[in-house]
Amino acid sequence: MNAQHHLDEATIVSYSAGALPTGLAVIAAAHLQLCPMCRARWSAAERIGGQLMAAQADMTVSTPLVEKDLIKHTVPQNAEAQRRQQRESMLARLDEPEVAAPTAVVPDFTDADLLPVSLHPYFGQRYSQLAWRWLIPGVRMIRGQAPGQGSLVMFNITPGTSMPVHSHGRSELTQVLKGAYRDAIGQFGPGDIADLDETIEHQPVAWGDSPCICVAATDAPLRFSGLIPRLMQPFIGL
Amino acid sequence: MSLRLVCREYPLPRSPVRLVSSPDNQNSRVRPWAAEVEAVARERDRDSFMRIYDYFAPRLQRYLAGLSGCEARAEEFTQEALLKLWHKAAQFDPEKASLATWLYRIARNLYIDHVRQDRGWQVTQESLEALERLEAPEDGLLDFSHRQEQKLASALHALPPDQARVIRMAYFEALSHRQIADQLQLPLGTIKSSLRLAYRKLRAGVEEPQ
Repeated sequence: MNAQHHLDEATIVSYSAGALPTGLAVIAAAHLQLCPMCRARWSAAERIGGQLMAAQADMTVSTPLVEKDLIKHTVPQNAEAQRRQQRESMLARLDEPEVAAPTAVVPDFTDADLLPVSLHPYFGQRYSQLAWRWLIPGVRMIRGQAPGQGSLVMFNITPGTSMPVHSHGRSELTQVLKGAYRDAIGQFGPGDIADLDETIEHQPVAWGDSPCICVAATDAPLRFSGLIPRLMQPFIGL
Repeated sequence: MSLRLVCREYPLPRSPVRLVSSPDNQNSRVRPWAAEVEAVARERDRDSFMRIYDYFAPRLQRYLAGLSGCEARAEEFTQEALLKLWHKAAQFDPEKASLATWLYRIARNLYIDHVRQDRGWQVTQESLEALERLEAPEDGLLDFSHRQEQKLASALHALPPDQARVIRMAYFEALSHRQIADQLQLPLGTIKSSLRLAYRKLRAGVEEPQ
């Protein structure tokens, strides 16, 4: 699966920085699992983060935590004593038993029924166990409960069916998992991601022989253009 | 894991983060970090560990204070991150990442796990890192030599102020594109474009041929 549509590098930077809203981060991670090119870009963003972290001022030696005039009452005179205390505390913890942590699992690409790992907490592990419900004729959906504003939704769209015309209050990421859709921007097949912002208005239409399964997140509610979709919006929770 | 997540009464003001490292002053280390981590892994060498601690703890703490806005939490996470290094040192592969990147990932993941309570983040990161380890490196991409680190540091210092600012706001304050746009009162597209340009320069700075 070689994607033709990729994550914006600005999105990759924010993902690596831990700065993407949760729903968008879930979708970005699904794409990173599927796309080696974006994964290489993400690796570079991680290195940049490491370098930025390491290049900061040493706050306990030469640079106060914040501007001096703001915290002159709270900067301890005995910074060195505090530092010694923190060292002692660290040393004391080295004898603690290790806390068990989950071991890293390489995603299984041979099992076509498995969803990308980042989607598991929100939608389950397997396509065959997804609990779809009808949204409109030709479109089924499942809502994921991601914290924060916006939405996280998986769609199953019958070929030939149009989604309502909509634009975005802010950002939207749509990852195609199976099947394909097209809109004014282009054609999106398995592995492709649409990384859209507030300026885009589009109407995706599923095409091909099999249903288009895609998962989308926004960091703000979608804005539907038609009257009927707008009236329906509160009921379908998008 | 029991983390005392008690914030002190004063939240940290959002001050600009200063980058003080220059490409030259990183030569002060005599022993490469990879050798110190190996000594921790093989011999449980506390002196090596504390040399890593002395260098990285203040940097991690400052980074985490910026993310969480809470000094007490930053102290807890810093200790927790370095404790992970103590226990997991054998998993560190200097061929695949610098120590700074490794610790950055641990610290960021602790923050997201405990502060943002993103249910799947940790497992997702581990699976992406597992894929990363399997992949053949592109030419120059995984050359974690000291010289490469210096080149990235040079590229960081060469960024125009507006690009350096959005990079700092993303990495050090974990602000979303929209939050940065709101704070700087600039269009979202401008923020994304600045981040994109900065990223490309930094990446090119690292990956250009020797």
